[in-house]
Order: sequence, then C-alpha cells, then structure tokens
Amino acid sequence: MENTTRLPSQDREKRHISAKNKYGWFFISFPVIILAVFMLYPIISSLFLSTMSSRGMIQKFVGLRNYVKLLKDTVFLQALKNTFIFFIIQVPIMLFLALIIASLLNDKSIKFRGLFRTGIFLPAVTSLVTYALLFKMMFSLDGLINKFLLAIHLISEPIPWLMDPFWAKITVMIAMTWRWTGYNMIFYLSGLQNIPDELYEAAEIDGANKLRQFRFITVPMLKPIILFTAITSTIGTLQLFDEPMSFSSGGVTAATIGPGNSLLTMSVYIYNLCFKYMPNFGYAATVAYVIVILVAILAIIQFKLAGDKR
Amino acid sequence: MSVKCEIGNYAVHSGDKLKKEETVVKRLFSMLLVVCVLFSIFGVTVMAGGKSGKITIWAWDPNFNVPVMAEAKARYQKINPSVEIEIVEMAKADVEQKLNTVLASGMKEGLPDIVLIEDYNAQKYLQAYPGAFADLTKKINHKEFASYKNELMTLKRKIYGVPFDSGVSALFYRRDILAEAGYEPADLNNITWDQFIEIGKQVKKKTGKAMIAFDAADGGLMRIMMQSAGEWYFDKNDNPNIVNNEVIKEGYIAYKKIVDSGIIKKTSGWNEWVASFNKGETASVITGCWIIGSIKAEKSQSGKWAAAPTPRLNLKSSVNYSNLGGSSWYVIEKSKNRAVAEDFLKTIFAADQDFYQKILVEQGAVGTYLPSQDGVAYTKPDQFFGGQKIFSDFSTWMRKIPPVNYGLFTYEADAALMAVMPDYLAGKIDVETALKKAEEQLKNQIDF
Repeated sequence: MENTTRLPSQDREKRHISAKNKYGWFFISFPVIILAVFMLYPIISSLFLSTMSSRGMIQKFVGLRNYVKLLKDTVFLQALKNTFIFFIIQVPIMLFLALIIASLLNDKSIKFRGLFRTGIFLPAVTSLVTYALLFKMMFSLDGLINKFLLAIHLISEPIPWLMDPFWAKITVMIAMTWRWTGYNMIFYLSGLQNIPDELYEAAEIDGANKLRQFRFITVPMLKPIILFTAITSTIGTLQLFDEPMSFSSGGVTAATIGPGNSLLTMSVYIYNLCFKYMPNFGYAATVAYVIVILVAILAIIQFKLAGDKR
Repeated sequence: MSVKCEIGNYAVHSGDKLKKEETVVKRLFSMLLVVCVLFSIFGVTVMAGGKSGKITIWAWDPNFNVPVMAEAKARYQKINPSVEIEIVEMAKADVEQKLNTVLASGMKEGLPDIVLIEDYNAQKYLQAYPGAFADLTKKINHKEFASYKNELMTLKRKIYGVPFDSGVSALFYRRDILAEAGYEPADLNNITWDQFIEIGKQVKKKTGKAMIAFDAADGGLMRIMMQSAGEWYFDKNDNPNIVNNEVIKEGYIAYKKIVDSGIIKKTSGWNEWVASFNKGETASVITGCWIIGSIKAEKSQSGKWAAAPTPRLNLKSSVNYSNLGGSSWYVIEKSKNRAVAEDFLKTIFAADQDFYQKILVEQGAVGTYLPSQDGVAYTKPDQFFGGQKIFSDFSTWMRKIPPVNYGLFTYEADAALMAVMPDYLAGKIDVETALKKAEEQLKNQIDF
C-alpha cells in the first residue's frame, strides 16, 4: 500500500536520510577505527598474551597455566595483599577526611576560604618526585617527624618509618592521603554547592544539630559523588605504582620494593616482570587481567552498596 | 689500514664538488695537504682507516658512563672525523625498558648501535633475545680483560660484549676513627666478616660511631659474599641453588650477625646511605669501587680514608676479593653500522691505554682492560686515601675476583632472598625455613 502511494518527495526524503546516514557512518567510523585499533585490539591481544609464557623473544603457549602459577606465586599474593591493605585502610580514611574538610570549608562564615581550599588542593598538583623526596627526608630515622615526636615525648625511640614493613606502609598511606585528599575534596565541594541552603535551614528549624545535618542531608545528597570518588580512588589504588616505586629504597635498583616487599603493589609487580626480571610479558599480562577483573568486581559491589539502580 | 687508503677516501669525497679540469691539480694538492696534516698530528702512526657513518649509543649515569663515552667519542673522532657518534643519555631503568620493548617487538628500527648493559643482566638479554647482539669473540682480544668479566658475557663459547668498568669491592674505612678504636691498617687486611663485626663492636664502644650503614632491602652485600666464594644463586644449569648452598646460608647468617651486633646505622635508600659516611656517622663502607666518587665528594674527609680487601666468609672457598655491579658495552647485531661500532669499541676500549688513565682520573672509572693498569694514573698515590695507591690495589684485587656466571635470574633471586630477610632478622623464622621459602618462590617465578 505504502509503496504504491508513495510520493516522489517522500522518496527524496528517504534518500536524503540514507545519504545522511552514510555521512554519519563515515564520521563515526574514525573514532570507531581508532578505538578498535588502540583499545579493542590491545585488550584482545593482551588476553591472548596472558596465555603465553615468555622469555623475551622466546614464547610458548601455556593456556591457563599462568593463572595457576599466579595462585602459587607468593610475591604476587603479597602484592595483592599489600594493594588491598592500601585500598581498605587508606581509601576510606582519605574520602572521609575529604568529606569533612569539604563540608567545613563550605561554611560561608569562614574567612579566607579560597586560601584554605587552594592550600589543601595544592598537593595534588605537586610533582610526584619532589614530594616523594621530601617525604623520604621528613620520615627518615633522624628526620623532621621523628625529631618532632621525640621532642614532644610522644615516642622514646625514633620510629623506623621506611625500614620496617609495617611502618613503611603507614608512611606511604600518610603520603597518599596528603596528596589526594584535596583532590577528592574538590569534587565534594562542587557537590555541596548544589545542595540547597533551604534544606539546612529547615533542618535547623526542626532542631537538627550540625552532626545530624551532615549525616542526613550532606551525605545522602552527595551520594553520587561519593560513589564516583570511591570508584576512581579504588581504581587508582589498585593501579598504585608511583608512590611505592619512589618510596622504596632505590626504586628499581633495590632488591625488594620496601623492606620485605612491604610496598610491592600489583602494578609494580607488572613492571618488574616486564623490565626488571627476565621479561615475561605473558605472565605480566595475566597479572594485568587480574587487576581488571578486581576493579570490575569492586565497582559492581560499590554500585550495589550505594543502591544506585541506574 | 694505511695512509694511502685515507687519502683515497678523502679524494672521493672532495672530488664530487670539483670541476673536471681542476680535479687533477687540486686533488694532488689536497693529497699533499692531507698527508702533511695527518703526519704532523699523528706522527708516523698507522691509521685506523677512513670509517664513516653514524652510530648511536645508549648509556645511563651522566656522571659516569656518559662522560666516559664522550671522551671515547672525542678520541675516536680524532682518528675518524667522518664518523658521527650520538650518545643518548637515559636513566638505567629507561634503557632497560626501551631495549626490552624494542627487542621483544622484533622491530629493527629504534635500536642503538651500542648499548650499555649491567653485568648482572647480561645473560638475561643474551638468552632472551638470541641473535640480537653481535658476537665479538674474534673482534676483540678478550684475554686482555679481567677474566671474571668475560665469563659473564659468554654464551655457548661466544663472547658478546666489550668489558667495561669493574665493581671490584673493597672495605673502605676511616683511618682516624679506626685508630681511635685502636686499630692499625694492618688489622683490617684480609679479615673475615666475624673479625669485621668484632672490630665494629670495639669502634662502637670506643667512638660511639656505627661501623657501617645498612639497608635491609639491599641485597648487595649478599652478592659480594657469594662472589667472594665463586658461587651464585644458581648451579651450572641455571637451576636455583639456595637451600643447599653453604655460601648463601653463611651469608644469610652473616647478615643477621651484622644486624644483631649493633654495629650498624639503619638507612633507607641511596641518599641516606651515602649521607651516613659523608656526615662521618659511620666508620666504613663495603661496596664496589665506583663508590669512590661519592666518598671523595666530602672534601673535609680528605686523607682520612683507606681501602682494604673485602672481608671473607668463614668458608675455605671464600677469598678477600669480590665484585659488586659493573657493566659492559654490547653491539646490536642488526645495526647498520656494525663494523664502525665494533671498530670504535676496539680502537678505544680495547686498545687506548691513555683513555683509561684519563677516565680513571676524571670519572674514577676503573676499567677492566688489564694492559692499561700499569699506567701513570693507576700507580699514583691518592692523597684522599692518605697516600695509598688505591687504584693499583684495585687492579691487583680485580685479577683475583672469582669468575661467576650470573645466570638469567639474578634480580628474581635477589628479591626472593631479601623478601624473607625481615622475618629472619626479626627471629620469626630460622635460616633453613627462610632459604626454603626463597627457593620455592624463585622456582615458581622462573618456571617457563
């Protein structure tokens, strides 16, 4: 029916649309090709690579044996453990601190708010090497921190910050918190701007104190942003590389990453497998895939916990 | 090559630009000129030949390897002005990263002609990338180099590199501090680690100073101990040999003794370690001779230092001579100017004795080219070390370093052993358990 009654103008219209489609496909093809070549291909190729065992140029197919090897690899398991310790302890502390500081600095009655905000954000733009060097100096056995703690009689003996497996982790956590709290704070601050003042006013009239306001207004209203920062921080921590590398003794020249490999993370292990040890790119790809899987799982859990149904 | 060849080459180059009529006269004239210039500069020495082309060199350390190469470049270009040499300076980790990625990708582009490789890594590269490096067995007279250097770059009876600097180890100590504790230089000659610890205790008691700075994450001392006994982490077939290795066990125990004796100052990282002896907080340093530059950096301590042979283990096989670190030059097989690169290394690094004197004085680089070590710079007393002829001593010790094949997995083994070290030092596990753990981990990791 339709075919017989079709007007020439309709036909032209259709041709016009299909021509438009052609252009559409043409333009969209560039990003698609680029994505395929630079994203899809490496992802698939590294999946294949993870089934190989290699010694430099010499490669052989081992199937899933790399994954079995991974479970027996105490160094990898330690890297996994270290990464999770950083993730479980450092990320919540940092995000909580960021939230507190953000809501404090959102108070309009505070003078020089801009100055404080800038001051707290500044570490995020500091060069990594510079700050790692300064922290190492401050946290050395006879460094500033120990001298201060000794002077106020909080400790009787200097703390072996970077020489003890336990304290080395603490030092790196302190450093990471210093560096990234301000960065997360900025997200919260921008989120706080979008919470209408009326809500707080109403709460105040109803007799809610600041703590309850924070608990029942600020946190729920900021939930999407908290989720976002939690996921980016999770990814950042699981891929943690810079800090352990610069805080461990000689970086690439030292035998272990931190005393007893206490600062070894999965990303550092991948680096070592590729460049410091006998280059085993296949095995390194296996470790990389484990990180991807873990990030995916954690992100799903966080979405579920946040109850975001979208 | 003869002078004739040099002139012929020159004529070909300049001949293109000249008109035919003038060619004969000008060519004769330029020939004469070149002959005169060459003879006046070099006397009647035989020329190396008119090489040309461009070679690229990758090296790390702007205070050591790079200026050494720059000196070599200047010397070679005097002989072969038409050879272009580019020295690319990168961090050591970057050199290794680039080399690994380019070689693994199988690309022919993007590689240098000559590359510096750390001795501990030599076998790894040679075996992981077969055919990537040029066989120099017949190009270089390796007999003129320290034998331990040749061993580590030999694969299937072929020698692949040109040995460069030595990491001959020594016990560097402060004469004044040791004298205060009642020790003469003779008391520190050819001692064992146990004796070293005893001396350290006295030093600590009488002067209050720590004997050495110690980094628990550093496996360097272990490597010194092992090589002093001609042993390594692996047996001859590259299989891990840790649990049943008397030398490693002895070394491991020595680590704990050193820590428990209270003679150390704990440090973390290179800077703190160097600072400990620059500030005069520690009385000695046991490491490779390349540390001299850092020791001498503290000018106020001039005349107060001395060097003695490295302490040995309580084993018959262990001697007072060992090594830590050091690297060598390798030529890439597929390099377009391989012949020039080989000739460059041969002319400077395997022949030029004067060059080795120069880099010893300027960079403190102790080469492993034995004929150069009778030279002026090597036999000169060093005022910083109280007039001791330290380089002459190094040269003597270097010849006695037991040769060791470092195998493929030095850094894996190093990490495996040092990872269990804190638990052992804290007394949580005994030495047998620690070594067993380390060997299991190593075996799993290097499983192909």
